[in-house]
Amino acid sequence: MTAAIQVDRLAKAFGGLRAVDEVSIAIPPGERRVLIGPNGAGKTTLFNCIAGTHRPTSGRVLMFGTDISQMPENRRTALGMGRTFQISNVCTDLTVLENLLLAVLGTDRRKWIVYRSTGAFPGLHDRVLAGLAKVGLADRADEPVKFLSYGERRQLELALALSSHPKVLLLDEPCAGLSPSERQKLFQTVSALPRDITLIMIEHDIDIALALADRVTVLHHGRVILDGTPDEVQSNAQVREVYFGHV
Amino acid sequence: MMRLLLAIIALAVVLAVPAFAGEFWTTLLTQIMIFALLALSADLLLGSAGLFSLCQASFFAVAAYTTAILQVRHGVGTLIAAPAGVLAGTLLALVFAFAVRTRGVYFILITLAFGYIVWGVAYRWASFTGGDNGVTNVPLPAIGPLRVTGTTQYYYVVLVVVLLCVWAYRILTASPFGLSLRGIKSSETRMRSLGYDIGRHLYMAFVLAGVFASIAGVLYVYHNRFINPVAGSFPVSVEAVLMAIIGGSGTILGPFIGAGIVLILRNWVSGFFHYYTGMLGIVFIVTVLWAPKGIMGLIARWKSGDRGEGV
Repeated sequence: MTAAIQVDRLAKAFGGLRAVDEVSIAIPPGERRVLIGPNGAGKTTLFNCIAGTHRPTSGRVLMFGTDISQMPENRRTALGMGRTFQISNVCTDLTVLENLLLAVLGTDRRKWIVYRSTGAFPGLHDRVLAGLAKVGLADRADEPVKFLSYGERRQLELALALSSHPKVLLLDEPCAGLSPSERQKLFQTVSALPRDITLIMIEHDIDIALALADRVTVLHHGRVILDGTPDEVQSNAQVREVYFGHV
Repeated sequence: MMRLLLAIIALAVVLAVPAFAGEFWTTLLTQIMIFALLALSADLLLGSAGLFSLCQASFFAVAAYTTAILQVRHGVGTLIAAPAGVLAGTLLALVFAFAVRTRGVYFILITLAFGYIVWGVAYRWASFTGGDNGVTNVPLPAIGPLRVTGTTQYYYVVLVVVLLCVWAYRILTASPFGLSLRGIKSSETRMRSLGYDIGRHLYMAFVLAGVFASIAGVLYVYHNRFINPVAGSFPVSVEAVLMAIIGGSGTILGPFIGAGIVLILRNWVSGFFHYYTGMLGIVFIVTVLWAPKGIMGLIARWKSGDRGEGV
């Protein structure tokens, strides 16, 4: 079976620093994969190479067998990739509804239409409101995003990534900066995602990471040191050494 | 309801202006509407997409020159000359739109350079453009038996064309494409990951802004009855943007208010107060310091009951 995401001997260097060094990972469709590792392990760099923010120095990224290594982000999205950002990245000047409209239209040819207002498309606003209801933001639809709390922005960001119905969803530290109760809420939203969405996630909160993951990839100094189930990771001595030992 | 009432009153006043205000104010109001359209074109880039363009006068001037040269030298009728002017300005915009490959100060600089190229060509290529003297004796527009014979009639022509443009602009800014521009202004990285090709969206925005500027240029040449390089010069481009900022960037009414303030200062106040340019400068400074969202921003704040310092 073709992997949803296959990373093939991927390396990314910034000047002399090899942030990611010959990493190979295969993630089958529907799997929930969490990337962990200490600071500077290369998680975010690897993540950004998959998402398209960075182009790899060498190696390839395949999505369902298509080489996407050099593909711009917007085309990856059209192929079925969705992502969130480590630092909340939403259009703060726009309302919640407008943000989600943009997300729905992003993979739709109608985004080029200039002669008709968004309100005039039958069903469009309803579809967007339904998406907002899923993350519990329906009653805040008309508020500018800048009035939302950080936790709510995180929820919104997830809604944005989901509204193009991605086959592969990349989450970069979705729980970063959230209070324990907000974490719990986000954890529930993520666990409730349909199982056919392949999930790749960076997460520092080790309890959440192990609870969500089908498999865990542990990175250290830009290399994969372990690729296994949450149980294997917890019991592995080397992982304890480089990761848990420093927490 | 309130807004509809205000709009009807405003329309009634505007329609009645030539009847009671005399030729001076009719002409001035014609000019205000034309430059408001140019300011609106600049603000499609600034208010929606966040791009500060300094070459809107180029499309304005190229459209005006094209119409003028066709009418005066080749005896082409308005029916062809006016659309040809808009087409010429738009074609130039298709080329200049490559400026959207840059951002921030580089975008400002490259559009500035483009603006100077057009001005320089208009000024130096005297055999074609008439150089410093420009093209004179542009007739009033006429389509078949329908002829515009005076300032009052032309006022109504401009009013109709500008209102049509405003209507189109309004739909444009509320359309998926218009929303995408505001999204790009807010976060390019987010928009890219939502599936938007930022470069192509900004390119299209630049060309559409060029169309509005070109229409303003054609309206201007029939109003002014001559065209010289000044119309394509740097100050015109800057003023278009400043009009939008004074009135309120990102709104439709703003550029009209801004154009009104600037042109009334120049054409009316200058008659009895010699240092009107100084006043213009003070208006700009006050706007930037205390009303960065312009007059429309002040009105919005007043309506929301916020008297505080919040921006």
